[in-house]
Amino acid sequence: MVTFRTYQPWLTLAARLGLAVVLFWAGWAKITEPTGLKQLAVSEYDILPKGMVPAVATGLPLLEICLAALLVVGFATRLTAILSGILMLVFIGGIISAWSRGLRINCGCFGGAGQVADPHYLREIFRDLGFFALAAFIAIWPRCKVSLDRALGLYTD
Amino acid sequence: MSKAARTRTARERLAEQRAREAAKQKRTRATLISIAGIVIVALVVTLGAYLINKKEKRTQLAHAYSGQLAPLSRDSDGGITMAKAGVTAPLLEVFEDFQCPVCKQFESTSGDTIKKLAAEGKVKVVYRPFQLFTDNPQASNTKRAAMAALCVPADKWVSYHDALYKYQPTEGTEGFSTKNLKLWAKDLGFEDATFDKCVDDKQKASQLTAITNYTLKQRGVTGTPTVFLNGKSLNLENQLMSASGLEQAILAAGATASSASPSASPTK
Repeated sequence: MVTFRTYQPWLTLAARLGLAVVLFWAGWAKITEPTGLKQLAVSEYDILPKGMVPAVATGLPLLEICLAALLVVGFATRLTAILSGILMLVFIGGIISAWSRGLRINCGCFGGAGQVADPHYLREIFRDLGFFALAAFIAIWPRCKVSLDRALGLYTD
Repeated sequence: MSKAARTRTARERLAEQRAREAAKQKRTRATLISIAGIVIVALVVTLGAYLINKKEKRTQLAHAYSGQLAPLSRDSDGGITMAKAGVTAPLLEVFEDFQCPVCKQFESTSGDTIKKLAAEGKVKVVYRPFQLFTDNPQASNTKRAAMAALCVPADKWVSYHDALYKYQPTEGTEGFSTKNLKLWAKDLGFEDATFDKCVDDKQKASQLTAITNYTLKQRGVTGTPTVFLNGKSLNLENQLMSASGLEQAILAAGATASSASPSASPTK
């Protein structure tokens, strides 16, 4: 009988790979940009103190790439899923904050920056909620057939 | 309790114990893996950021001019006068646009000659950078640079002007970033809150417009570089792009007694 237990590991694998692709794409698009553009994207949210902008502008894409790599490999799966989920919540919070203050900016989620005549905040929030759901799924059911965690003996079945 | 029953419970207890230990081992392993995960993420992010920032070390530094310079002063209209005390003739007026590639060539060919002759008291120089380009990105580049130059204290002006030409952006690309305009001021040791505000707030915008209008309308300048020696426009090939040609012209003008002065300076 095919139960959730049977196909859950594959769902988790698919979620891991899917989330990893998204995170890698977002991180790579940002990290290959010139510094000025990266910093502009962050500073336009007008949330962080000015001194933190360069650190976040460089650190964030690195974080995304690192999480993506860990998800692909399946190392510390639950932890990386939780971190990814928190990251998505932070992004959603940022977008809501910008929206509520009447800012019209490019979210910079996959690179880019600048003022936008017609920002699609709601679309972006739903998209990030989708990614959050993926991360939550992996965090709740990190067990997978193909993962470094399994090779390290974390799962005994 | 029978012996069989005792063995069974003993076996059960052993099995339980082994199961507990296995579970504990698994938990420890899970914790260690999580800690390793956090360490990896922290290392990648901080080390990576550090290395990336190090890679972006500055290559475009401004340097103070090392040769002799005549005293510099800022005129009320924004022009920069470079002349030894008491020297009023011959008068060399340099009309330049910081984004103009030919001006860059002119400066690299004859710029130092001009400085030298002024330092020797053989000529009075008035620099008037203005906005020639009207298309972007050249126009915004040149405006930023010219406005910043208007904010620079007179004694550091020549070095800043030289840096602007040295790091002139290729025509068609964006350059003269506000960041660099301030960094060059820092390199030359005069960056402060006043200068930064002057640059950020574009405080010299109207002065630049006045200089530009004066240049285009009253002096009839149509291209850059345009250099007037005692009111007469010098020839580009023989007298601007040739340091010796320029020196000859200036010395010749100095030798003759007459010197015509140009029309009124631009109003602010």
